[in-house]
Amino acid sequence: MYSSAFRLRDTAAYILALLLLSGSASAAEITVGANVGNVPWEFQDAEGDYVGFEIDLVKEVAAKLDASVEIVNIPFSGLFSAVQSGRIDIAISSITVTDRRLESVAFVQPYYDSAQSLTVDSQSDIASLDDMRDKVVAVDTGSTGDIWTTANTSQYDFAEIRRFEGIVPAMLDVQSGRVDGYISDIPGLEYFIRDKPYFTVVQRIETGERYSMILARGNPLADQVNDVISELKRSGFVAQLHREWFGSEPLPDSSTVSVIDRPLSTSVGGTDAGFVQTFLNWEVLLNSYPLLLSGLSVTLMLGAISIAFGLMLGLFVALVRMYGMRSASIAAKVYIDIFRSIPILVLLIVVYYAPPFAGIELSAFTAAAVALSLVSGAYTAEIFRAGIEAVPSGQFEACHALGLSYRHTMTDVILPQAIRVVIPPLTNNCINVIKDTALASVVAMPDLLKQANQAQALEANPTPLIVAAVMYIALLWPLVIMVGRLEKRFRQEFSQ
Amino acid sequence: MTAIVSIKNLHKHFGNFEALAGIDLNIKKGEVVCIVGPSGSGKSTLIRCINQLEPFDDSSKVKISGVDVRQDETARAEVGMVFQSFNLFPHMTIRQNIVLAPMRVQQLSEQKANAVADELMRRVGIESQADKFPRQLSGGQQQRVAIARALAMGPQVMLFDEPTSALDPEMVGEVLDVMRDLAVSGVTMMVVTHEMGFARQVADRVIFMDAGKIVEAGAPDKIFDNPEHQRTRDFVNAVLQH
Ligand SMILES: Nc1ncnc2c1ncn2[C@@H]1O[C@H](COP(=O)(O)OP(=O)(O)OP(=O)(O)O)[C@@H](O)[C@H]1O
Ligand SMILES: [Mg+2]
Repeated sequence: MYSSAFRLRDTAAYILALLLLSGSASAAEITVGANVGNVPWEFQDAEGDYVGFEIDLVKEVAAKLDASVEIVNIPFSGLFSAVQSGRIDIAISSITVTDRRLESVAFVQPYYDSAQSLTVDSQSDIASLDDMRDKVVAVDTGSTGDIWTTANTSQYDFAEIRRFEGIVPAMLDVQSGRVDGYISDIPGLEYFIRDKPYFTVVQRIETGERYSMILARGNPLADQVNDVISELKRSGFVAQLHREWFGSEPLPDSSTVSVIDRPLSTSVGGTDAGFVQTFLNWEVLLNSYPLLLSGLSVTLMLGAISIAFGLMLGLFVALVRMYGMRSASIAAKVYIDIFRSIPILVLLIVVYYAPPFAGIELSAFTAAAVALSLVSGAYTAEIFRAGIEAVPSGQFEACHALGLSYRHTMTDVILPQAIRVVIPPLTNNCINVIKDTALASVVAMPDLLKQANQAQALEANPTPLIVAAVMYIALLWPLVIMVGRLEKRFRQEFSQ
Repeated sequence: MTAIVSIKNLHKHFGNFEALAGIDLNIKKGEVVCIVGPSGSGKSTLIRCINQLEPFDDSSKVKISGVDVRQDETARAEVGMVFQSFNLFPHMTIRQNIVLAPMRVQQLSEQKANAVADELMRRVGIESQADKFPRQLSGGQQQRVAIARALAMGPQVMLFDEPTSALDPEMVGEVLDVMRDLAVSGVTMMVVTHEMGFARQVADRVIFMDAGKIVEAGAPDKIFDNPEHQRTRDFVNAVLQH
């Protein structure tokens, strides 16, 4: 659970770094980005050190080049932009060489032949891909598993594809039964389930993919790294890594032992992509636009539902807190305090992963809507309370003296006045709820951020993220401006 | 004939502090009673107990036209109240302020409520302000709206708690004029006031309160010119010197 929470924080840090466009690391130090947790390629051991097949390999490569290595933890879908922006020099994470990716980044020669695999709950009766008809498939956002599954959905009649940010959250959902199978790289899967008999890899899916490292196009380091890898293959170092991490000999003709050429882009054009090519790539934009629009509509839907429920809940809780019986009032206060202090991300993960173990099935959308509404309700309750308390007591007394009922006192006199006070903070809260919908990507919600991440991984280009940012701004800027206007107007009204 | 307001042995505590220490008072239909006394003597508290803005001790009894205010919630609608600070509803027009309670509490149709409002606005001289909002009116006009709003419920008695104390001096007269007209037309009124001239001219009875008790009550001439008690005399002298 926590690993996915941290991963998201890393996404944020990475986006920040991307925007700051920090320069390349010095020659003596090679900065390597890796999706840590991707066993057995790069992960943390019990001591917290980064270990794995590719960690060992990249360290050896650096040693041969007389450079030191700094490992940065970046989610898979962010590795491409990180390389392109110069934030990191090399990215590792069992990255498959594809033509699409070759158009945006440079690969060195591959060192592992891989395939995809279908993993299921051992107790399920799914024995192969053919049994996955009308079933839900989990994949990693933008991975080759994602690409393969998306391309083969109609052939196998999958009901739905859910996109996760790594093996752990995906496997949790296989276990809870929310998804029926997980399609992902076979070596990682076999390593992951070696001590978990309740999962079974039921099918190997041949895709002819080969793993390699990526660098920015035109980075001269690529040739040097490639030469060192040739040397390490000849010396048997890479084969030794295979024995160490997989406990078996590599196949004789595999890319783990034979020296091969660097894969190069088939498309003509400059080797060094410019800023516009990288960040505002028109072609990528056109390709990813439908995906982003669908993400935007999910974000809007989730935002609108959470805001509506949060408002109703908040008003109810505020009234109970202020006028309810003592015990109810205390319960309302406890609710408000708890949900204002819990980080939404933590709540989201709890709401998503805990109920299945109690036999309650919540969809990702429901879980996200519940979590966001609960938190929004707590903030809204406090906003309403402040608004009602801002109404002078003389207003209540006048209503009382006129014989108005409690209901009419509230609906005709108090709330209409409170609304004026609460509209600016409520609008602010709406902005926050819409922004917080982005957190729902951790529970495989296809919201705007998730779709942008997927698109940028598929295209190996950060343009979709930039477009998503523009969409968020276009959505929220008018609200931000409205808050300012309303605040000014109500200030004037009350000062008179 | 039974009294419109009947108060028996009224005690009111704020914690251990006794704000009203046994008040007995009957007010007849059409009677105008002014309540005077030093600050903190319990004048506001007395008025607020009558329409249940303050709870009071169990042994006490307050009745409006024979109905115990604690037993029947609707009794408070029989009591109109005008506050020192107007307490108009700022988000409603003058007309809306006036028709709200008749429509919500008495279920009058909008048409009937408007007719009532028109009549009352004419009576207090604000008919041309009907569609303005309270903040667009002067203090004197706002207080006259508040009077009209209270009258719209057709109360048996009108309570006033220092209705002119928050007003600029030049506006005090217009509010007192309206109240004088009400008095003349037979509205039963209890008025807490520092306006001794008004009390002398309009009141049927003046009540002097001190330390939560009625010290002395009687016709205005008697209280102002010939008080029985030393405390009343001191108060009257102090006030009239101003
Ligand atoms: N809510 C309250 N809590 C505690 N004490 C109160 C409260 N309201 C009034 N008192 C006290 O009760 C006493 C009577 O108050 P009250 O407001 O009735 O006086 P008053 O005669 O209206 O005075 P003033 O002329 O200043 O309006 C005062 O001593 C006051 O401090
Ligand atoms: Mg007072």
